[in-house]
Amino acid sequence: MTGACWHCGESLPPDPPQANVAGIRHAVCCNGCRAVAEWIADLGLADYYRLRAGPAARAPDPRAVKASAAAFLRPELSRHLVRPLADGHSEAIVLIDGMHCTACCWLIERTLERLAGVVDVSVNAGARRLRIVFDGRALPLARIIDALGRVGYRALPLDRDALDDTRRRETRYAQKRLAVAGFGAMQAMMYASALWFGAFDGADAATRDFFRWLTLLATTPVVFYSAGPFFAGAVRLVKARRLGMDVPVALAVALIYGGSVIEILTGGPDIWLESVSMFIFFLCAGRYLEMRARHHAGDLSDALARLTPVFADRVEADGTLLRVGAFELVPGDRVVVGEGGSVPADGVLETDQCRVDEALLCGEPTPRHRRRGEALCAGSIVVGAPATVRVTRVGADTVVAGIVALTTRAASSKPRLARAGERAAAGFVARVLVLATCTAIGWAIVDPAHALAATVAVLVVACPCAFALAAPAAATRALAVLTARGVLVVRPDALEDLASVTHVVFDKTGTLTEPAIARDRVITRRGIDRDAAVAIAAALAQGARHPLARAFVAAAPATLPAVEARESVAGRGIGGLVGGRRYRLGRADYALERESCPSNLEEAVVLTDADGVVAAFHIDERLRPGACAAVDALVRAGIHLTIASGDTKARVEAVAGRLGIAAWHARQSPTDKLALLASLRARGARVAVVGDGVNDAPVLAGADVAAAVGTAADAAQAASDIVITGRLDALAEARAVARQTLSILVQNRRWALCYNLATVPLAALGMVPPWLAAIGMSASSLAVVVNALRIGTVEETPVEGEAVVRQSALA
Amino acid sequence: MTSLVFLIPLSVLILIGAGVALFWAINRGQFDDLETPGLLPLSDSDDTPRERQ
Repeated sequence: MTGACWHCGESLPPDPPQANVAGIRHAVCCNGCRAVAEWIADLGLADYYRLRAGPAARAPDPRAVKASAAAFLRPELSRHLVRPLADGHSEAIVLIDGMHCTACCWLIERTLERLAGVVDVSVNAGARRLRIVFDGRALPLARIIDALGRVGYRALPLDRDALDDTRRRETRYAQKRLAVAGFGAMQAMMYASALWFGAFDGADAATRDFFRWLTLLATTPVVFYSAGPFFAGAVRLVKARRLGMDVPVALAVALIYGGSVIEILTGGPDIWLESVSMFIFFLCAGRYLEMRARHHAGDLSDALARLTPVFADRVEADGTLLRVGAFELVPGDRVVVGEGGSVPADGVLETDQCRVDEALLCGEPTPRHRRRGEALCAGSIVVGAPATVRVTRVGADTVVAGIVALTTRAASSKPRLARAGERAAAGFVARVLVLATCTAIGWAIVDPAHALAATVAVLVVACPCAFALAAPAAATRALAVLTARGVLVVRPDALEDLASVTHVVFDKTGTLTEPAIARDRVITRRGIDRDAAVAIAAALAQGARHPLARAFVAAAPATLPAVEARESVAGRGIGGLVGGRRYRLGRADYALERESCPSNLEEAVVLTDADGVVAAFHIDERLRPGACAAVDALVRAGIHLTIASGDTKARVEAVAGRLGIAAWHARQSPTDKLALLASLRARGARVAVVGDGVNDAPVLAGADVAAAVGTAADAAQAASDIVITGRLDALAEARAVARQTLSILVQNRRWALCYNLATVPLAALGMVPPWLAAIGMSASSLAVVVNALRIGTVEETPVEGEAVVRQSALA
Repeated sequence: MTSLVFLIPLSVLILIGAGVALFWAINRGQFDDLETPGLLPLSDSDDTPRERQ
C-alpha cells in the first residue's frame, strides 16, 4: 500500500497530502485527489472505495474540467445534446470517459441524483453512456458536467467516433482472448493426447514431465489472459457481496489450475490443464457470440446516428453555397443536398420533387417520392436529383436523433425478463456452491484422491452460464431484429406483453388510413377562392400534429399566411387570427360553436369566421400501406380486431368494411375509447392499442401494449411502448417475433434446467471427469446463444431480406 | 525421440508467431467488421463504402 495514492493508485510524492475520509487519513498523490476523495465521502458515498474494481482516474486538472464544462455552455453543442421531452424536462445522453466498473456507475448515479433539478439518471456501464433527465431551466447542462468532473469523470459529446471506439476496443479484446484461448486449448490438447497415449506406451517419467510442463506453458496464458475478465468479475461480485455466474467459473478455473500445478510439482497421477483451457475457450466463444448480438443491436442505432452528415451546403443570402458544419444550421436556413447525399437536418422540400431513401429510418426499402412542401427527415438519402431543403428542425430535435434516443433508452433499461434471469442465476449459484462444498467434504471422507476432481466437475458442470445467458441473449436479439424491420421497442417489457395480446384496437385516421384533402370537393361560400380557403386552413393547421392537419398542409402552397393567437381543442379543432380575422377549423359543431350541426356538414371539415361558414372540405381516405396485410396477418393469428375512431359512422363503417373488421365504434371520444379498453380488459383480454401516438396518448396509456404508428416524424414524441415507423404489417411480425422470443426463452430455460438436473448428480458422484464437464457446460451455453440467434429467422419475406442487406451494407 | 527436442520448441515458436500475427491483424482492425465486406461485392454502386474513412 505504501507509495500508492489511495484514490487513483499513482505513486505518491515525497510529502503526500492527506485525505480525511470517515475519520481515517489516507495518503493521496495530489490535492485534486484529496478534494475528490473528501467530496465523495462528504456526499456519503465512501462505499465507492469498497465497491470499485480498480483505482479511480487521477483527479483531472481543475482547469481542464472547467474548460470542458465551458464547452458544454456553447449553445451549438448543448442544442445537439439536449432534447426537450414532452413533460417539459430535458434529456441528454453523453459518453463518460474514465469509467472502469460498476462502482463508477454507482458513484455517478448517486452524485448526479443529489443535484437539485435532476429527475432521472441512468448509466450504462457497458456502453459508458449516461442518460440524464433534468429540469433544463433550473439546472444548466454545464453544472451536470461540472459535477461529473469533480468526481473525476469527463463527459464527451456522444459523437460517432467515440461510440465506435468503445465498441471496437471491446470487440478486439474479446477476439484476442478468444484467439489466445483457442491456440492454447489446441496445444494443450495436443500435448495431453501425447500424455494419454504415452501412458499406454509406458513412456519414461522424464518425457511425461516434459509434456506436462509444455501443457502448463500452453495453458498459463489462457488462464491469465483469456480468463482475466472472469476473475475480475468474480472479485467485483464478491466485493459487492453478490453472486453471479463469474464466481463458480473463477473458482473452478483457479481450483483446476492450482490443483494441476501442485500435481506437476509433486509428480501426482492426474492433471486437467487441457480441460481448463478448453473450458475457457468455450466460455469465451459463448461470451463472444453474446457480445456480437449485443453490438448488433447497438449498431443499428449507431448506423442511424451516423446517417446525419457532418457538413451541409448552406445557401447564403447572395445565392452562393457555403459549406458549413451541420450543427451550425438553424431553422429557416436553406441547404442544397446533392444526389446521393444525405439530408443534414429535418426540413421541407423546396424543389419540385425528389425521391428519398429512408430505409434506415423506417425499414421501407424502396425510395419514396416527395413533392414540394413535403417534409424530409435528416438522414434520408436523396436519390435522382439534387434537392433544396428549408431546415425546420436541427440537432437533438430531428427525427433521427429522437429515434436514436429512443433506442438508447430501450437498450439502457433492463427488461423484466433479464432481471428475473439474473435473480434466478444468483440463487442457482448459491446452491451450486453449497453442493460443491458438500461434494468436497463427502469425497474427502470417502476417498480424498478423488475430492478435487469431483468438486471441480460439480462446479463446472453446474455453472449456470446457460441459465444466465438465456434471457439477455434472447431479448437483445429480438430487439435488434425488430429495429431492423422498422419496429422500435421503447419499453423492453412490451415484448413480453405483446406476445400475449389477444385484442388489437386500432385508431382509424392516421393509423389505418391516411387522409387527403379532395381539391375538387372544396365548397366555398361568399365568393372566396378555393386556394385561398385551403391556404387559410393550412396556415391554421400548420404545426398541429393531427393527421388531418397534415393533409391540409400537404395540399396547400409553400408560402402560408401568418397566424396569431393560435388555439386548439383536442379532438375537435383549431382556431386563430389570419390577416386580422378570427377563423376556426374543425368538426362542424366546433367551428360553428353549436351543439348540433347541419347534416350536410357532418362529414366535412369546416372553416368558419365570425360571419359563419367560409368553406367545407371533404376528406378522401386511402388505406395506409400494409394495413390490409396487417389485418389479415393478425386475424390469421387469431387476434380479435376492433376499430375505435372519433370519425363519423359512415366513414368508419366504410374502412371497417374494406378491411373486413366486424367490430367498430364511431364518434369515440378519448373517454369512450378508454371505457372500451376497460370493458375489454375486464373480460380478460390483453389489449394492444395502435394509434398515431400523439393524439391518442391518453388511450395508449390505458393499454397493455401501446403501439404508435409514426410517419417517423412523431416517433420521438410518441407516448407508446412500441413505435412502428414503416409499414403497418410490421405489427404482426413484431408479435410473431415476440412470441418466438418467449418460446425460445422457455426452451432455453428448460434445456438449462434439464441439463443441470441430469449432470450434477453424476458429477457429484465422481462419474464425470472434469474435461467432459467442461465440454458439456460450454456446449450447453453455446446451444443457448445459438438458439437465441434463431429469433427472427422465420417468416422472412424477400422484401425484408433486402432491407436487412441494405442496412448491413450501410452500417 | 531426439527430434522432439527440436520439433516441439519449433512448434511453440510457430504458435507464438501465429499469435503475434493475429494480434497485429486484430489491432489493425481486420476483424472489426465481419459482415459488410462479404456484402460489398453484391452492391451495384461503384462508390466506395461510406463508413470507416
